[in-house]
Amino acid sequence: MDTRTSTHSPSPSRVGAARIGIGGPVGSGKTALIERLIPAFAARGVSLAIVTNDLVTAEDAERIRRSGLIDPARVAAVEAGACPHTVIREDPTLNIAAADDLEALFPDVELILIESGGDNLASTFSLDLVDWWMFVIDVAGGDDIPRKNGPGVLKCDLLVVNKTDLAPYVGVDLAAMAAQAATARAGRPMALTNCRSNEGVDAIADRIVSDVLFR
Amino acid sequence: MNGPSAPLLVALQHADGQFPSGGFAFSQGLEASSSLAGRLGTFDFAAFVDIQIRHRWADADRIALVRAHRLAGDLEALAELDREVEASTFVEGLRSGSRRNGMALLTTHERIGTCGAAAYRAMVRKGDACGHLPVVQGLAWQALDLDEASAVAIGGYQMVASLATAAVRLGVVGAIDAQKVVARALPAIEAAARVPTGDDQPLRSFTPLCEIAVAMHGASGQRLFSN
Repeated sequence: MDTRTSTHSPSPSRVGAARIGIGGPVGSGKTALIERLIPAFAARGVSLAIVTNDLVTAEDAERIRRSGLIDPARVAAVEAGACPHTVIREDPTLNIAAADDLEALFPDVELILIESGGDNLASTFSLDLVDWWMFVIDVAGGDDIPRKNGPGVLKCDLLVVNKTDLAPYVGVDLAAMAAQAATARAGRPMALTNCRSNEGVDAIADRIVSDVLFR
Repeated sequence: MNGPSAPLLVALQHADGQFPSGGFAFSQGLEASSSLAGRLGTFDFAAFVDIQIRHRWADADRIALVRAHRLAGDLEALAELDREVEASTFVEGLRSGSRRNGMALLTTHERIGTCGAAAYRAMVRKGDACGHLPVVQGLAWQALDLDEASAVAIGGYQMVASLATAAVRLGVVGAIDAQKVVARALPAIEAAARVPTGDDQPLRSFTPLCEIAVAMHGASGQRLFSN
C-alpha cells in the first residue's frame, strides 16, 4: 500500500491576513517598534493583530495590551519553551495556531505581526509562519553586527537598525555601519530608526503596506 | 537483506522530534516540579520520568491514544473521547497544555493533508471538540496507516523524549545523561504498552506532586514552558 498517497488529502491553501515576523536580539527594540507601528497602521486603515513570543513571561504581550494602542484581545502570547529559535522556525505550529485564532476572532484582520522572543543573529522565520519578516538590531549592540553575516541580518526582507540616536554615545559611526549592512545584504532593503522619537517608522509602515498588503 | 518497511519509515518520520507538533513548548510539569523541588521534596529526573510513564501515560494518555486509534476516524466518537480526556485531567495547566499541543499537531497534519485532520481541527475551532494531544495522535497516526502498536510506541517514546529535551533546556540534566534516562525508560514504555486495553477503558492517572507543582507554578507568571 502506498501510504504516501492514500492517507493524505490535498493540502488546503491558506487565505487570510498577511503575517509578518519581527525578529532580533534581546533589547534591540522589537516591542518598541511594534508600539510605533500600531498607530502607523491605524492611520493607514490597516486592521491589525499581534502575536508575541516571550522567553519567560508574557511581559511583551502585557506591555502591548496595556499600551492603550490596540484592543487587548487582539494580542496573543505564545510560550517559547526555552527555545526562541524553535517557536518561529523549526516548529512554528503554536504561532500558526495563535494567528489562526486571532483571524477567527477578528475576521476583519488584514495584518498579523508576530514578534519573536529575543534571540541571536542566527534567528530566522519559517515561511510556513510568515509571508515577510524583518530583523531588528540596534547600534548599541555594536557596529560589527552587520559584518558578522548572521542569517537574521542576511535573510530578512527588511533589516532595521534601531536606536540610531545612541550612535555618538557608543562610539558607532552610523554611516559606516549602514554601508556595511548594505554591503552584507547586497543592497536589499534596510531602515534606520529611532523608535523613541518615531523616526523612520512611517517608512517601514509604508513599505509593509506596499510590499505585503499590495496597496 | 530486506530494506526497511514503509510503515517503519512513516513511524520514524512521525516519532522524530523535528516533526512540528508544538511539543517543545510543553514540559508536562517538569519545569514546575524541578523548580519547586525545595518546597515539594527532592527532584530526580529519572524518577520523574518513571512516574510519568507508570502513573500517567500508561493508564491515561496511552489509553486515550489506543481508543482514538480504534475509532478509525469517527470524528463524533473522537470528540466524545476528547471530552473524557478533558474531564479526567485535573490540573488546568496540564489540561490546557494538552489541548494546545493537540491543536499544534493538528495544524501540521492539516497542512500536510492527513485525512481527517482538517475536519477535526474545524470541530476544535468551533468548540465541538477539545483537541487533546493523545486523541489527535490516535486520529492522525491511524489515518497514516500506522498500526496500534506503532502508534503506542511513538506516543510513549515522544513523551519521554520531550521530557528529556525539556530537562536539557532547563539545565536539569546534560544531553548525554538525558539519553541514559531515556534508555532506562524504554522498558517501562514497552511493559506498559503490552497491557491489554479495553475499547471503553477509563482513563486514570495519579501524579499528585506533579499536579500540585503545576498548579503552584501556573500562578507564578515566570515560565519558560507552557506547562
